[in-house]
Amino acid sequence: MAVLALAPIAAVVAGALAALLLEAFLKKKAHEAAATAAVLSLFAAGLLVVRSWNLDLAYFGGRLSLDPLALLLMAVFILVATFVVLMSLGYAPRRDVNLGQLCGLLLLATAGLMIMVSSTDWLVVFLGLEVLSVASYALAGLERRDRASSEAAAKYFLMGSFAGAFLVFGLAILFGTSGRLEFAAIASSGPAPAALPLAALAGLGLILTGLFFKIAVAPFHMWAPDVYEGSPTPVTVFLTIAPKAAGFTVLLRVLSPLITGSGTAAVFGPAVSVVAALTMFTGNLAALRQTRVKRMLAYSAIAHSGYLLVAVISGDGPGLVFYLIAYAFMNAGAFAVLAAFSPNGTPGASLADVAGLGRRHPWLAACLSLFLLSLAGIPPTAGFLAKFYVFSEAVARGHVLLVVAAVMASLISVAYYLKIVVAMYMQEPKSGLSIERGDPALSLVIFLCLFGVLELGLWPGNLLTLIRQGLAGLF
Amino acid sequence: MSTIIAGLPLVTIVTFLPLAGALALAFVRSDSPRTVRAVALTVSGLTFLASLALLAGFNGSSSLPQFVERASWLGRGLDYHVGLDGISLFLVLLAAFLTPLALLSSWRAIEDRVKEFSIFMLVLETGMIGVFVSQNLFLFYVFWEAMLVPMYFLIGIWGGRRRIYATMKFVLFTMFGSLLMLVGIFVIYAAYHRATGSFSLTIGDLAAAPLPPGLQTWLFLAFALAFAIKVPLFPLHTWLPDAHVEAPTAGSVLLAAVLLKMGAYGFLRLGIPLFPQAAARFAPALSILAVIGIIYGGLMALAQKDMKSLVAYSSVSHMGLIMLAVFSLNFEAVEGALYQMLNHGLSTGALFLCVGILYERTHTRLIADYGGVAARMPVFSGLFLMAMLSSAGLPGLNGFVGEILCFFGIFTANKVLAALAVSTAILSAAYLLWLYRRVMNGPLKDPDDDRLRDLDRRELAVLVPVIVLTVFMGLFPGTILRKMDASVARTIEALRTRPAVAATMNPAGLATSEAARVTGSER
Repeated sequence: MAVLALAPIAAVVAGALAALLLEAFLKKKAHEAAATAAVLSLFAAGLLVVRSWNLDLAYFGGRLSLDPLALLLMAVFILVATFVVLMSLGYAPRRDVNLGQLCGLLLLATAGLMIMVSSTDWLVVFLGLEVLSVASYALAGLERRDRASSEAAAKYFLMGSFAGAFLVFGLAILFGTSGRLEFAAIASSGPAPAALPLAALAGLGLILTGLFFKIAVAPFHMWAPDVYEGSPTPVTVFLTIAPKAAGFTVLLRVLSPLITGSGTAAVFGPAVSVVAALTMFTGNLAALRQTRVKRMLAYSAIAHSGYLLVAVISGDGPGLVFYLIAYAFMNAGAFAVLAAFSPNGTPGASLADVAGLGRRHPWLAACLSLFLLSLAGIPPTAGFLAKFYVFSEAVARGHVLLVVAAVMASLISVAYYLKIVVAMYMQEPKSGLSIERGDPALSLVIFLCLFGVLELGLWPGNLLTLIRQGLAGLF
Repeated sequence: MSTIIAGLPLVTIVTFLPLAGALALAFVRSDSPRTVRAVALTVSGLTFLASLALLAGFNGSSSLPQFVERASWLGRGLDYHVGLDGISLFLVLLAAFLTPLALLSSWRAIEDRVKEFSIFMLVLETGMIGVFVSQNLFLFYVFWEAMLVPMYFLIGIWGGRRRIYATMKFVLFTMFGSLLMLVGIFVIYAAYHRATGSFSLTIGDLAAAPLPPGLQTWLFLAFALAFAIKVPLFPLHTWLPDAHVEAPTAGSVLLAAVLLKMGAYGFLRLGIPLFPQAAARFAPALSILAVIGIIYGGLMALAQKDMKSLVAYSSVSHMGLIMLAVFSLNFEAVEGALYQMLNHGLSTGALFLCVGILYERTHTRLIADYGGVAARMPVFSGLFLMAMLSSAGLPGLNGFVGEILCFFGIFTANKVLAALAVSTAILSAAYLLWLYRRVMNGPLKDPDDDRLRDLDRRELAVLVPVIVLTVFMGLFPGTILRKMDASVARTIEALRTRPAVAATMNPAGLATSEAARVTGSER
């Protein structure tokens, strides 16, 4: 029965293979078939995830275990991947992106993510991370005719490999000092930082650096805006949410014993706090200067990493998961609206392009406004409640100054999110931004995100209870 | 009849009826502005009628929140908990009374995107009323922040030339304060949990478990900043002239009449009850800022060339008086402040409506462009004069009652400040009457200008109710003050004698406050 622990991952991998094979052998009209296969496999994986709840399945001698945290994150990945497939149905043919390849790579990346979150062994995590990375490098470059997309892929590949090297080097040192590669090895080796061998500390530092690269927190975020902006919009949705969610989950598992531990806290607590504050301010201040909407949202994605780090610092598992879910809905929603814009040839809509959108497309503009308000953390949206939970828990654990920094960073973010709203509602249209109509799948995604943002902002009751109960034993 | 009303969740109805109307409006065809306007006016009118039922059923002898409705919402103390006491009752009525008038006043002024305008106005009404009825700090914050959004759109879409600058400044200033208040809420939430072991953000619970003085200082400062920006207290007032001048008439009316009151209300509802020692400690400093605001606002008003910014600076001055009265921390002053909040809402609302009526005719707000208007618009000039005299505190009108009460209270607290504060009476008489003379009297600027016709029936329907109410409140203040007495007394009493009360009445209360002190020192 334990082999069932592999079932959700297997379902996704099977879907990936099916999509790639359909694409390869049926040629021409197989795009829809590949997408269907992808959605079906995601659906199956979703069912399997639900079925595994509370069963505590494990495989590889516990190195792959479906604990509630892993299952919740898997559900998020499946949701996001489904959104991406649905968004791509109309987007891919329009921008000459191969839909079958997109679906296949997307599912492979998802499988990598699922492996990452369900392990507490560095080697398995690294395995998942590499599966994810290879697939996402290709995903970023799928829009072959667009130079920005190729640039994104190259940059992502170079920086990703660089980060991967740091990670491996750190792992090697860690293994050399302790002979073990479980997360617990670090935490159990000693209560005080003095008790950790210097080499182990250095190894851990390298590992964290590698992870920080992957989740794009400052000062390791330089690659992110270009990659997020250059990738095809549905892929951007995936890249801004899913790898980050997995990275934060790993960080939470690794760091929370170190940060809450009495001795190590003195080293890791302040260090990560500084990184968090730096990330929020760099992301938000840079976003303030952008004129292209997609790039602005790319920087906003970096800023949100900073808020998520606050949850990691306070060891607040439920808050982190709730924030990630809320963030998945609002960020996917915002980018989904961007995917509906089809400017001719330009890499992305600028603020001037969206001017007057409120008059010409009232519903679309209203949805984007709501997503932006949620990202800014204004009640009664999911974004507000997510910030409320994360920040209030951080204050309860004594990180008052960090939270003050976080809310001030949010204030900056309000300024640029509202810049987009200003353009849509308070300025007259200058150029004719054409909007893709009659894309029901995209509308469905926007609607679901809208629903999620409002539902989680007003009545998140059941989900919160589920998360809190699931993680009660873990964090 | 009364039993039927008693069974209804009246506060919820009054709060969310406008929101329901806004949702319904989203599905009305936007190419028929008449329907949209009619629906919006009906909904806000019904809301006002429902709020009258609250007034009728309100028991003035009780100081506790009435019409309380409570339901579990998010768990862990984040409940849906609404109710009204004597402090909130009339502010709810003020909001419910002015929204339909503001909507009616913009029937000709707003012709572009009428549907969106009406939706935002109704959402704003829900936000305003929600702030006043919340009995839970979380709910209070949700309404407080959510209300920014419709006001942001109202100024930004239908405002004047510099509307985008004004609306961004308004939002960022307000959010700066309220985000720090949010951190304060987190701290209270955590402190209460540590002290008692249970989660609560119910305002009554929090007030019953006083925090250690050291913590109070920081928290009071965080809350006071949010409220002082909203009031606005000098020197945090700079957003106000911009927002007021650029906002459309209806927006200015609600901004001045209701939104500014939220700051003062915040001090009364949260600042004083939750942090009594800190409030007493900072009262002198805040009083001095208030006095500076009174004089500065008055002098600035004298110097304005634009009618709207004149009224805006007069607001700074009048709100300064209200804040000075609040910080005098005695019964007369606080009751006077509360009464003056209503007066300022009505008289400044009326003044903005008057300026709007003139602007609709001539499309200029510069005082120098007017002269001799009284000859063409006798009815209007009479009502304008009434609104001014009410604002200046002429005996027989509402402003007089409020100011006298405020001065009595301020005088017992600090004679020097009282003497300085009296300048508000002189200054406001000066800038308002001078304004009247320049606009209404003298020769007509342009004798052939036939745009200056007198008020039509719609405009009368907007202005007359406000003026009638100012007269009523000037002649029969007792009817209103009596309903406030108990709640104001409780706020003040709590400030003076809380530790003793807690010790004699509730031994457990003492234990919790001890526990709070212990955890406070650990922090």
